[in-house]
Amino acid sequence: MNLSIRSLFTALVLFAGAMSDASAAELVVIVSARSTAPALRNDQVAAIFLGQAAQLPDGANVTAIDQQVGSDVRDEFYVRVAAKSPALLKAYWSKLLFTGRGQPPREAGGNAAVKKLVADTPGLIGYIERSALDATVRPVLVLH
Amino acid sequence: MALASGAATAATTDVLPSLWSVSGFGTAGLVHANTDTADFSNSVLKGSGAGASGRWSGAVDSRLGVQLDVALLPQWSAVLQVVSEQQYNNSYRPRVEWANLKYQVTPDVTLRVGRVSLPVFMAAEHRKVGYVYSEVRQPVEVSGGVPITSSDGADLSWRWHTGQLRHTTRVQYGRTEMGLSEGISLRARGIMAASHSIDVGSFSARASVIGAKVSVNFADPLFDGLRQFGPAGMALADRYAVDSKRFSLVALGMEYDPGTWFVHAEGGRQRSQSVLGTNVGLALGAGYRWRDFTPYVGYATVHAQTETRTSGLALAGLPPQLAGTGAALNAGLNQLLMTLPEQSTLSIGTRWDAYENIAVKLQFERVTPHGNSRGTLINPQPGFVSDRAINVTSMTLDFVF
Repeated sequence: MNLSIRSLFTALVLFAGAMSDASAAELVVIVSARSTAPALRNDQVAAIFLGQAAQLPDGANVTAIDQQVGSDVRDEFYVRVAAKSPALLKAYWSKLLFTGRGQPPREAGGNAAVKKLVADTPGLIGYIERSALDATVRPVLVLH
Repeated sequence: MALASGAATAATTDVLPSLWSVSGFGTAGLVHANTDTADFSNSVLKGSGAGASGRWSGAVDSRLGVQLDVALLPQWSAVLQVVSEQQYNNSYRPRVEWANLKYQVTPDVTLRVGRVSLPVFMAAEHRKVGYVYSEVRQPVEVSGGVPITSSDGADLSWRWHTGQLRHTTRVQYGRTEMGLSEGISLRARGIMAASHSIDVGSFSARASVIGAKVSVNFADPLFDGLRQFGPAGMALADRYAVDSKRFSLVALGMEYDPGTWFVHAEGGRQRSQSVLGTNVGLALGAGYRWRDFTPYVGYATVHAQTETRTSGLALAGLPPQLAGTGAALNAGLNQLLMTLPEQSTLSIGTRWDAYENIAVKLQFERVTPHGNSRGTLINPQPGFVSDRAINVTSMTLDFVF
């Protein structure tokens, strides 16, 4: 009896945790574990993903890898890092595309694909859910 | 495992730039103006608009643009953009807006050669892409007077930063020629432009200067006629003809957009020792983003700093026949001077992000030309009077693909 109440409580806590994870999962901006990139600020990450900066603060060239259009993790990332809704982001890239000033980052499908690409290529930077983090990549910014 | 590596391989292929891509933008628009003595449009280089040519017009904002991007080598790319919209001669023949070859000298330095965009105002380069901004169109008071959006030549753009400030400096040299209708063209030679943009957080600003020698042969018979009237007539023709006349423009714009709302302001002064005259324009706008809606308000004004009227040729003492011709020339010259814009506009509207890649907009405006000017209105009819407000209602559907 005592045990079952305790496990019920544990289940409730886990469930509540899962609920809050679903609505606001922590995101991490990652580079390869082999990369020497320093920790980054919000605005520096935004500049890289919005095509306004092609280099890290230490001068190394960097290329952004995006998550797929329409994915929750992507929508969440741009709201947190650049205060841009999906429609605002689309408008932003349309502006750059049709003035010949840039194209949006290439996309990879899902946390695993982004992580694999970034782990294998030191010049890339991506973002994934924190739960998908492992030793092949290194976080340079945590977005709460 | 096999599945994972397959996905990774597919993703790796995605990282390489595709060889070529086609994209496009467009607007389907309908405008109503409650006047029958002139047309409301978005540029002096339009054939018609809403008003005298018909209370409703689809010509003001409707257009279609298609762009081809080609990635040639890692540092070389090319772009071709073709736009179809109503022109001065009422045709919708597609025009090559941009066609250039881009060389990425370093990740932050870009050289482009060919037909490249002119960075006149903050929104000048993307003003044809309605989807990227909240309002139905860029204020005609500020952008309508400079209808040139591209130049054939080269530009060099350099990105750099100081602390958290990001800078983009651009210099450009070129020329352009636009056929307006049979035998009439607008030419700009020796276009020299420089602009500097700064971005910090949600704030951005741009200052730009442009100089060029401009010719428009739209009123040659009038100036040829004036030249027949001795030194006084020649002086008038020399003063007002747009014949290799120096044109300059200085503009400053800024924008603050933290995501849920925005404000922007832009001002510019253009000068020319010709019938194009000198004027200053100012536009202000603010909006709020609520779910898929962006209600906004705007105010724009343009003020001519040169006379919108001239006494022209002195007719006293001339033989009756010559005096008659002289009077007709004076009237023609004053008609031209009425095109010097004096106008203010109040606008209110909303954008609705109805669907992915589609925005619907509804906008009401009160447009008032002042002081003998026809403002930015075109096709004035006998009976047109200044200082009378016109109500303009615009509905547009903007899309990108």
